[in-house]
Amino acid sequence: MIPKGNIIAVVLVGLILMGIGGFVLLVIGMSWFSNAPFGLSDAPAQPIAFPHTAHAGAVEDGGLGMQCEFCHRNVTKGDSATVPALQQCWFCHQKVTGGDEQAQLEIEKLATAYSDGIPVNWERVHRLPDHVRFVHEAHIRHFTQGDTEDKQLEVKEVCTVCHGVVSEMDEVQPKQFQSLKMGTCLDCHRKYDVPTDCTICHK
Amino acid sequence: MKLTRRNFLAWAGLSAVGAVACDVFEDELRVQSPVSLPEDLVKGKENWYATLCRTCPSSEGVVVRVVEGRAKKIQGNPNYPTNMGAQSARCDLGLQQLYHPDRLTGPVRLNGPKGSGRFDKITWDRALEALKKELQDRDGAVAMITPPLRGHAALISDNFVKAFGGKRIEFDSLDLNTYKQAIENVFGKKIQPYYDISNAKYVLSFGSDFLSTWISPTQWEVAYGQFRDSKHSDRGTLTHVDSRFSVTASNADRWIPIKPGQEGKLALSIAYVLIEEKLTPSKVDIDDLTDGKGLSALASYHPDNLAAELGIPEHITGSNSVSELIRTVAREFASQGPAIAIGGGSAGASTNGLFNLEAIYLLNHLVGSVGIKGGVILNPDSPIKELSAGSSSHTITDVENLIKDIKSSKIKMLIINGTNPVYGLPNWTGLKEALENEDVYLVSFDYLMNETNNLSNLILPDRNFMEEWGDDIPEPASGYQVIGIQQPIVNPLSDLDPRSSSDVMLSVAQDLGKDSDLPWKTLQEAMKSMSDQLFDLNRGSVPGSTKQEFWNNLLKQGGWWDEGATESSSVDVSNIVSNIVAKDKGAAVQSTGEFYLVPFEHNSLLDGRNGDIPWAQATPDPVTSIAWQTWVEINEKKANDMGIQEGDVLKVQSENFEIKGIAFLSPAQPPEVISIPLGQGRTIGSSYATNRLDGESANVLDMLENHKVNETGSLAWAATKVNVINTNTSLRIAKFEGDFESREIGFTEGEKLIKTTSPNGNNH
Repeated sequence: MIPKGNIIAVVLVGLILMGIGGFVLLVIGMSWFSNAPFGLSDAPAQPIAFPHTAHAGAVEDGGLGMQCEFCHRNVTKGDSATVPALQQCWFCHQKVTGGDEQAQLEIEKLATAYSDGIPVNWERVHRLPDHVRFVHEAHIRHFTQGDTEDKQLEVKEVCTVCHGVVSEMDEVQPKQFQSLKMGTCLDCHRKYDVPTDCTICHK
Repeated sequence: MKLTRRNFLAWAGLSAVGAVACDVFEDELRVQSPVSLPEDLVKGKENWYATLCRTCPSSEGVVVRVVEGRAKKIQGNPNYPTNMGAQSARCDLGLQQLYHPDRLTGPVRLNGPKGSGRFDKITWDRALEALKKELQDRDGAVAMITPPLRGHAALISDNFVKAFGGKRIEFDSLDLNTYKQAIENVFGKKIQPYYDISNAKYVLSFGSDFLSTWISPTQWEVAYGQFRDSKHSDRGTLTHVDSRFSVTASNADRWIPIKPGQEGKLALSIAYVLIEEKLTPSKVDIDDLTDGKGLSALASYHPDNLAAELGIPEHITGSNSVSELIRTVAREFASQGPAIAIGGGSAGASTNGLFNLEAIYLLNHLVGSVGIKGGVILNPDSPIKELSAGSSSHTITDVENLIKDIKSSKIKMLIINGTNPVYGLPNWTGLKEALENEDVYLVSFDYLMNETNNLSNLILPDRNFMEEWGDDIPEPASGYQVIGIQQPIVNPLSDLDPRSSSDVMLSVAQDLGKDSDLPWKTLQEAMKSMSDQLFDLNRGSVPGSTKQEFWNNLLKQGGWWDEGATESSSVDVSNIVSNIVAKDKGAAVQSTGEFYLVPFEHNSLLDGRNGDIPWAQATPDPVTSIAWQTWVEINEKKANDMGIQEGDVLKVQSENFEIKGIAFLSPAQPPEVISIPLGQGRTIGSSYATNRLDGESANVLDMLENHKVNETGSLAWAATKVNVINTNTSLRIAKFEGDFESREIGFTEGEKLIKTTSPNGNNH
């Protein structure tokens, strides 16, 4: 006969293992169905649809061919690329209407937010951890003002190195071209003989 | 499971993923597009704006780091003439003042008896209507109390209250009236002079803790750094005479403890030696100073006669006598020029304070230091006619007269702007009782609750200094004309609705047709008008070919100054010695008790004005390292004789009043003196200022007896004597000192830890 104490111990261990296993499954399940940047699912839905194809897409493809830094104004000046204020969107969209009914509905969302003075909270697609210091300006300078051909790119070409060809995406998708993990950074730093000291990136 | 590094990392990673999956960092996953596009609202981009700091009366020039519309860091403005890039710890407090959680969100009106603390929120429209109605109903019976103000804040407040037939009282617990009077009597000008410490070779200071709290400490700390810098020139010498071991005393080459109130006699004794030993430079006309009497004018101040009276302990003189020490100081003062004599603080706060200060400043004339590099440099008048170069500073006697007028219903409406007189006045003045009268209408512009505005009928929260305009003529300036500019560098948080008190006064005066002397719609308009006047002067530090360009550069630079606009140093000194000697009458300290009480301004709380700021409370006192509490500095040996140990709660009794404080034993404290800092003992305010245990927080002003400085009528706050009683309860003193053993680096193995141990075994 199995001693009573052993049964209790087996049941307890079983319950603990089930609990841990269930928690792990729950986390994996939530991650699987969660949006980027932390989840494994596709790009999150944005409060206002912003087709990069229409704004930054090539003219021959029906886009406007706008430069990335026209909207992401700080990208060549500082740490953050930044998203524009609604006022900047409205500079154009007070005149520029949508090409179809759906586009017009999205522009009206912008008009309402602007006139009511309510900021728009975009869902973040790319995100680095808090302990990483990434300066957009330094990277763009490296690839646009170098002395070799591979370092004399246009700004929009530099953006694609990490973010993929955003101008061809209706919805910006995460991790299209690079994983944006530490290995990505180190590979590139080594390739271009840039220092890899911890404090270069870590605060 | 064994907790290995690998296991720990695995669990930590899993926990992090779980936390993310559970949406803990939801806000981190958003990027906000603001609605409008101000130029300084770029994500991650910082801007630095020049303005003025208002956390202490010296109003230092600062630059503030602003990121996305929020102030993040305050630093000294490297261009500003007074503090030249340095800032005091008090400047940093501005951020916690700006983002204080207890700020009033908007106007409130009393809904209950006075002092009940029951206030209703009302709109600005209703608040201004109420203010206008009361001003009209009580026209001719209005008064205003403010701290000492300069620039347009003073001008607008004065003209506003005058328009309603009243007057403004500038209230300061430790007012500078005696000091200013002494300056006027000795140097012929009431505007505070500049002490060129950086170029001096000898500083002889009396009572003024100029390296901590006295008047403009940052300015003098910068100069003191240069004074002590031996890289470029000879290192200057500081002799400090003080009844307590202050920050300045602890920095001095020689500290001379003295009985409170005897500083003037010591100064005249030094003057005696200067004349007797012919140490004065040839350009100094002793006959002119003494009306031809020469040394006989100071006959009663022979060092031998005063040695016992001054209370200078023999043991600090080494192998010499006290009279020989006086002679040594006089010889150093005369030979190591340029030399400056400075006096203030407790030296001007005994009943003979005016005599003390005049005697001290006389020494500058005797060594020819007035108007020379490294000496006392007189400051010029303001470049703008309507702005005074000095605040008027009223005394406690003026406040007492105001209280009488309130009690006799001559004054029926009182406006309080930026000060807390119910806390800052001794209890015997009776201001609180006068304001509790329901017939007196009290309006306050403060944005944090305190003992005074708790008695208000109406509170109209003002803007923080980082949210509004302003200007300042620094007191003292740096020997030439300076005007500092304060500009709004951030907007108030969205849940706050403060308004500039100056703008409120301007709009109310205009609505009621009382704006004949207030021609501006807003304070900003007044500032722009001043900028235009400065532009028309066509001189000074601000470049600009148009008025707009000049205005932009003025704001960018944080002020206007003209190093060429100085003051003549000619002073009529005839018969000055006899005039000073004639003031030496009566006892310096009137009351009885075992100890002299020497209160002092707290290094960060000052007179209590920063008590609501947690950083100010938590900043350790530079000498004792105590924070958050009221302590009683008592001589260690004397305390041992009385059976007092550190942490004992002491009852300190004057003739009519008493407070409690925690004993701090100091070997440096003169045996006949106890010292207590100002700043604690708040009863109404934020939780940072109040809610203390019995015995650990008291307002030392509450126990001062009613003594005034002769001739000036200022509060003689160092003229009270007290007895000390041990309550036989004790509290843990909140201090850094003594908690760590000190070890001398480089000792060989086997050497023991070095501890300094007091006679009773306490570690230090």
